[in-house]
Amino acid sequence: MASTATINGTTTAADPISRIPKKSKLPSTPHQFITLAEIVSEFSHHHPSVARINNGSFGSCPASVLAAQKEIQLQWLSQPDDFYFNHLQTGFLRSRTIVKQLINADHVDEVSIVDNATTAAAIVLQQVAWGFAEGRFQKGDAAVMLHYAYGAVKKSMQAYVTRAGGHVIEVPLPFPVTCVDEIVQEFRRALQRGKMGGRRVRFAVIDHVTSMPSVVIPVKELVKICREEGVDQVFVDAAHGIGCVDVDVKEIGADFYTSNLHKWFFCPSSVAFLYCKRSMESCDLHHPVVSHAYGNGLALESAWIGTRDYSAQLVVPKALEFVNRFQDGIEGIKKRNHQAVVEMGEMLAMAWGTHLGCPPEMCCSMIMVGLPACLGISNNEDTLKLRTHLRDKFGVEVPIYYREPKNGEVGPVTGYARICYQVYNKPQDYYKFRDVINELVREGFTCESLPN
Amino acid sequence: MASSLDSQPTANGTFAADPASHIAKKPKILSTITPAEILSEFSHHDPSVTRINNGSFGSCPASVLSAQKQIQLQFLCQPDDFYVNHLQPGILRSRTLIKQFINADHVDEVSIVDNATTAASIFLQQIAWGFAEGRFQKGDAAVMLHYAYGSVKKSMEAHITRAGGHVIEVPLPFPVTSPDEIVQEFRRTLQRGKTGGRRIRFAVIDHVSSMPSVVIPVKELVQICREEGVDQVFVDAAHGIGCVDVDVKEIGADFYTSNLYKWFFCPPSVAFLYCKRSVESSCNLHHPVVSHVYGNGLAIESAWIGNRDYSPQLVVPKAVEFINRFEGGIEGIKKRNHQGVVEMGEMLAKAWGTHLGCPPQMCSSMIMVGLPACLGIWSSEDCLKLRTHLRDKFAVEVPIYYRAPKDGEVGPVTGYARISYQVYNKPEDYFKFRDIINKLVFEGFTCESLSNEKA
Repeated sequence: MASTATINGTTTAADPISRIPKKSKLPSTPHQFITLAEIVSEFSHHHPSVARINNGSFGSCPASVLAAQKEIQLQWLSQPDDFYFNHLQTGFLRSRTIVKQLINADHVDEVSIVDNATTAAAIVLQQVAWGFAEGRFQKGDAAVMLHYAYGAVKKSMQAYVTRAGGHVIEVPLPFPVTCVDEIVQEFRRALQRGKMGGRRVRFAVIDHVTSMPSVVIPVKELVKICREEGVDQVFVDAAHGIGCVDVDVKEIGADFYTSNLHKWFFCPSSVAFLYCKRSMESCDLHHPVVSHAYGNGLALESAWIGTRDYSAQLVVPKALEFVNRFQDGIEGIKKRNHQAVVEMGEMLAMAWGTHLGCPPEMCCSMIMVGLPACLGISNNEDTLKLRTHLRDKFGVEVPIYYREPKNGEVGPVTGYARICYQVYNKPQDYYKFRDVINELVREGFTCESLPN
Repeated sequence: MASSLDSQPTANGTFAADPASHIAKKPKILSTITPAEILSEFSHHDPSVTRINNGSFGSCPASVLSAQKQIQLQFLCQPDDFYVNHLQPGILRSRTLIKQFINADHVDEVSIVDNATTAASIFLQQIAWGFAEGRFQKGDAAVMLHYAYGSVKKSMEAHITRAGGHVIEVPLPFPVTSPDEIVQEFRRTLQRGKTGGRRIRFAVIDHVSSMPSVVIPVKELVQICREEGVDQVFVDAAHGIGCVDVDVKEIGADFYTSNLYKWFFCPPSVAFLYCKRSVESSCNLHHPVVSHVYGNGLAIESAWIGNRDYSPQLVVPKAVEFINRFEGGIEGIKKRNHQGVVEMGEMLAKAWGTHLGCPPQMCSSMIMVGLPACLGIWSSEDCLKLRTHLRDKFAVEVPIYYRAPKDGEVGPVTGYARISYQVYNKPEDYFKFRDIINKLVFEGFTCESLSNEKA
């Protein structure tokens, strides 16, 4: 797959990026679907003895996409100036175009490629901060986020909104959650409370899928409530988005929408997109790292933030090619991941005598499973210690969430494991986890026994 | 050649030793690297290209790339273990090495970021908050050199002008004949800037300007800033470590940034931002990409800005190992690069009947060489077109700078090539460039003949 260099140092049309199919091409006959053996091979760089049931944290990338990435890196190293002048921007445009198609955006101008959702949040929130600094918003104007918003987003709200004079409101959410309506009601209540005294709610950031605890949030309904309640800007943080839940940005209706592609869309670390509805152009979004491309629109600014390795952002076509080797492409993958994680989750809950953190329809390819109460998980530190213990002693990689018990609860389930299911997972991964926990229970293990 | 990287995964998926930890921290010269080994280390460079532009995108030897790949594989193999057990110690190791190289007092003063462009944004964002939070008043001034890098100029616009600051450019001569010319202009500009009682809140000073490339007398300029009451001084040494002498205490700036992928053999991309501890605003600096470690100091914030590939930032020890295979280490490399580029520059200037853009002592490992006036370079666009022509037709990679002629100049030299010299370069590269230009002159070529193709 080597890109042939001409005698003059430019590359022929056969460069690694251009050879990749531009349009999504579904396999025409079933026997062209990827086989189990091929999947195993594609992920053979994963540690073979780790039960890797945490795709949600760092994602995963198949060998064929990594190989394409390496080609791009080599092309850069071979002749960086030629790459910069002749291939970088066309590569970006190709990635953005594919994303636009996948998320049903109207125009490729609405799609920018950034490192990750954390960066996207900083971009959106920085413009909110300028809004305060430049008098479009007044001190005391409110911004809303979910209680389960990602840690980085909460800090970003502090760094850009609170610091600029905004008033940040958290929407309390129940967990475990029993139905979508619980979330909708809390959200509406929080907005109305926020508006009391004539306060303006300028901005809302809504997770599409919360991280910890992981639950699929009814974003479409919440965006609608925002419109009804007069919220100026709505930003959906779908760090877990594309490849995990259905992403139709027009349907969802938010002003800004971000999702990582390295978590559930088989891209390498790291690449994400930030969708900005065209009508929000006046919001004047900028990448915080300013280069000579400043002022040409976020998409172009993000495509050059100084010299760095952009290869992860240029292999999106190859990731799409990989996705399309599966039956029904990304839709098929999402559906099968969801079915499997629910099945595995229910299996574990039954084996441990616990329960799931939400009904199956409120999860995607991740689900929260209660851990036996006798393990004695009594705070956040315990969850970290237990997670480390599972990793170091048993080769099981799974994040654990601490849920504070309510007053009067008897023998409460306070720890929940967030299990994930991706195409490389198999039931044995979850049986191993099941058996490890059962063994710990049998031995009378408690978190108290773990060192700090 | 490449050390074996014995990061052995345990049965449980953790890694006992990580790839970076065993690399020698002190110079250990077993045997000096040979020309054949150097050739091999850079064999991934396109062999048909005359690569005399190390300054733009730098270069990275195969052994460092190999170490980087090991780190990437370790992450892919078990990312959680990597994140929890190896990432932060690796970054600390890189920071510690840099601290030693730049003579900083404390490792807390050294943060690792992607590139100097990011460092500039970090510094300038802090200034913008200064305006928003009332520490600075609208109209307070900021100073930069006319030859400041394009991204830095835009960053000034995005953060300072937008926030209400008044940006002043120091005009600089080119060609330049002595550091004193620069010193005088700088002082004049500062004094002019202060008229009417205006406060100058900060100055951005290039250590080595990009286009045209000249080594700026930063120590003297920093001193002038102190004398003239400039609050904060930020030195942009995108071309810094591995190119000029970098002693941050000696230079005396409050903030100093340099890329490590340009002249320090790291892969793209990695840079450091030094923030003097004693400077109050140091603790106000934040990485613009905010993660859960916000508020723990810039060094910690920069070491986690969300999920991404941090491997370039973790191979600094391996780059140091590579450098120490050369006689005299980085000092030897700098000296030989400088001698090489001056010799080649003088050879070209003589061959073309032109001149250098500055005296040899004002260049580092890059130098500006006048191109024959008959080539008819009359604009920046001509420079880009000629550069493209040289790349596409002759496989020579070299950036070209346009100098607007002064009134009354006869047959002025308006185009200057910025040639770079790095350890992989050889005289043949510059002979080839010489001969191509001579050929173009011989054929009566002018830039006018080039179509308006995309550069």
